[in-house]
Amino acid sequence: MTIPNQQDTTDLNSLVLRIAQHQDKQAFAELFDAVSSRLKAYAFRCGATDTEAEEIVQESLLTVWRKAGQFNPKTASAVTWLYTIVRNKRIDLARKHKNVQIVSDDLYPEQATDDLENDVERDLNGEIVRTLLTSLPEEQRQIVYMVYFEGKTHSEISSELDLPLGTIKSRLRLAMKKLDALAQEQMTWLIIILMTNF
Amino acid sequence: MANYHPNDELLMTYSAGQVNNALGIMLACHLEVCSQCRAKVHKYNQLGGEILSSTTPITVSSGLKQRVLAQLEQPRDTNTNPIIDAPVPPSDQRIPRPLWRFVPSTLNDIAWKGFTSSIQEFTLPFSDDTYTAKFYKIAAGKELPEHTHKGNEFTLVLDGAFSDQVGSYHQGDFILANTETIHTPHAHKDKDCICFAVLDAPLKMTGFFGRMLNPFLR
Repeated sequence: MTIPNQQDTTDLNSLVLRIAQHQDKQAFAELFDAVSSRLKAYAFRCGATDTEAEEIVQESLLTVWRKAGQFNPKTASAVTWLYTIVRNKRIDLARKHKNVQIVSDDLYPEQATDDLENDVERDLNGEIVRTLLTSLPEEQRQIVYMVYFEGKTHSEISSELDLPLGTIKSRLRLAMKKLDALAQEQMTWLIIILMTNF
Repeated sequence: MANYHPNDELLMTYSAGQVNNALGIMLACHLEVCSQCRAKVHKYNQLGGEILSSTTPITVSSGLKQRVLAQLEQPRDTNTNPIIDAPVPPSDQRIPRPLWRFVPSTLNDIAWKGFTSSIQEFTLPFSDDTYTAKFYKIAAGKELPEHTHKGNEFTLVLDGAFSDQVGSYHQGDFILANTETIHTPHAHKDKDCICFAVLDAPLKMTGFFGRMLNPFLR
């Protein structure tokens, strides 16, 4: 698997916009080909069975079709938007099997437009986020992945990896510091951190 | 503007879709009033997007695409979740949106319960095995008996304000008390303090008066 380049990301944005503006089925079919296997992999790594993962893919893409009009490339890239959709579908599918009241709409209500606009300036450059993620030392990336896919707490990760709690905490903290540096556009610091691979 | 915030780890875990319980609802309530934390979650969502992109793909089964394409013909607006009706905005501005469908439309209509008028509670309907979710109302100027906690207690101030030995907390503030916290919270004098609390274990009273009350607390 190659990491998508900037071109791919731009393509995803334009595909979603074509769906939004023209209800373009060809664009939808292309989007399906571009992302379905990644959506499935995400669901699968989060613990879904093969059948559940495909249901999550199906529901996510149908949501893209129906809600494409809400996509705003100024506030988030298509891939970030897709991520929030597939995350929510995963939560709601898992909930169906249990007697749980809380649905993803409760946890992630749609934001008011003015809030979104105010938050726009915080949007990060996707390419830089990607660079950051790929250049994290494996031991830090592994922990970030465990949070995203498995929702493990520090102490669960600690016992699973058989490492002291303090080590897990400091690795995650280091990874998050780099993200913070990125968010605050302290680019010099970020480059130093990345170069030293610390 | 809130002065006390959830930590970054919790915000990342929320963005990862891994806090799908009462605590997640509380985080959503805090985010509604805190642009600083919203910006962080946005950043973690972006990281989630990149993680999604960089995952080794798993090919979907051959018929899936046709099945999905066939469903595009269905009306676009049938996607609303049948479990929840669109929540009606409450008349009470103090109620954060994620709580709208779980509480009466005004805090004044809440059926408070309690053994004293200085502290009353209302159990929220979305508690589970991990967390108990409640509203607390501390009467203006009243103090709770000194207590510590057997586990974590997350508190979000909805109205009024309270102080303890560490700080003073106002609307939107997100506070974590744990086993190391021993405190005597008191509501500020001007009005009742209403808090949304999520507990993973009951309170443990430490003072003499508190110990006497303990059997009544879950």
